[in-house]
Amino acid sequence: MYYSINNFIMFKKDLLILCAFLFSISSLFAQDDLLDELNENTQDSSYEMPAFKAMKIGNLQSTKMADQGDFYLIVSHRFGPLKDGFDTFLGLDEASTKIQLLYSFWEGVQFSISRESYNRTLAASAKIRLARQSKDFPVNLVTYATVNRNTLIDETIFPDLKSSDRQSYATQLLVSRRFSDKFSFQLAPTYIRENLQNLNVVPEEKFNQFALGFGGRYKLSKRISFNAEYVYNMSRAKSSPFDNSYAFGLDIETGGHVFQLLFTNSQSSNEPGFMSSAEGDMVFGFNVVRVF
Amino acid sequence: MKKVAITLFLLVSFSTFAQKYYTKTGNTQFKASVQAFEPVEATNNSTTAIININSGEIASLLFVKAFNFRVALMQEHFNENYMDSGTFPKATFKGLISDFDFSEISSTEKKLLLKGILTVRGVEKKIETLATFSKNEDKLLMEASFGVQPEDFNIKIPKIVSDKIAGTINISLAYEFIEKK
Repeated sequence: MYYSINNFIMFKKDLLILCAFLFSISSLFAQDDLLDELNENTQDSSYEMPAFKAMKIGNLQSTKMADQGDFYLIVSHRFGPLKDGFDTFLGLDEASTKIQLLYSFWEGVQFSISRESYNRTLAASAKIRLARQSKDFPVNLVTYATVNRNTLIDETIFPDLKSSDRQSYATQLLVSRRFSDKFSFQLAPTYIRENLQNLNVVPEEKFNQFALGFGGRYKLSKRISFNAEYVYNMSRAKSSPFDNSYAFGLDIETGGHVFQLLFTNSQSSNEPGFMSSAEGDMVFGFNVVRVF
Repeated sequence: MKKVAITLFLLVSFSTFAQKYYTKTGNTQFKASVQAFEPVEATNNSTTAIININSGEIASLLFVKAFNFRVALMQEHFNENYMDSGTFPKATFKGLISDFDFSEISSTEKKLLLKGILTVRGVEKKIETLATFSKNEDKLLMEASFGVQPEDFNIKIPKIVSDKIAGTINISLAYEFIEKK
């Protein structure tokens, strides 16, 4: 009898210990649970950060856009050919300047106007964002269109010149992806319309041209990246004196500024200009992007 | 024997089916503004947080990229240059509210000590502050604020902007919890 009571007490003790053990496990479990529970049940629905720092990779438009209400001033210089050496101080004597104003009235829509020394070109452009990279969508999609007007051509040299001959156009689809914090890549299929074909310069008329641009960036540090781009013009005649354009250089970001120091083979930084008629000699240039 | 079984059952069930209150739209703000300069502040309206009302344990989580700034470019710089949001997308807090008794919280505000660990950019920091609790119908409201320093989380501020960013960043939060069923 004594033995069995004792046994029962022992059993009860065991139960209590088991019970306390279970309780501690469950409360321990509950403790870790809270943050894990949040981790499991929340998803980042925000957009990926922009693939590029500035609105251009070099010459080529990037998918980066001004945010609503942001006003930008962009000053670009393209100097003369480096190969001219000391005669022109590596081309610095011959500067082509572009001054561009850029504004976004609505989120995802950006307008700009500009004037470039090269061919005294006036330009207007619009950029519209179609989609942004996020967990649900793999790329940034942006459309771009620009109208250029060459105000340099002289009617005394081209007596038959019509006003519309001064115009050229480009329209692009920009597709970019930020693969990592450091590396981004972009494709830019482009259609170019040039109303003036000077047969003294080009061997045959190519009013309509198709080009494929591509470019990317690799961040060297938080505020500095290496950018490069190439544009393959599919419509160019074999004997054309013009080359496919390239640009490579550094983006240096300091607060509200981005400095883009680059080397390219084109004097013009407008799309119809550098995509159809890059002269081929390497020049130094820069874009200074300032937000207000 | 029966009693023991019942106690066991009660204890286990009590702890596993702990009552929880949660929110997915918690408001977390920070201010690092310096007078006379452009305000440096942002709001996150999608903070998730959860309270175990039996134990007073609390946890919260937010996505750093979801902080909204008035100036979009500032938001981009915040994420890319300071917070490394690509590498460290989340900031979390895990802690305990001292002497938390759900039945004692009413529509009048009650201040309780909140202690825990804040993790930002993978760096942990102990936080201790007074939090205000109250009830509004079926909601449990919580408000708190505390200060942190960028150095606490190895955030480097370049010299040229150091004048424009406050040395102590004030973080304030306002969460409206509802019962989790």
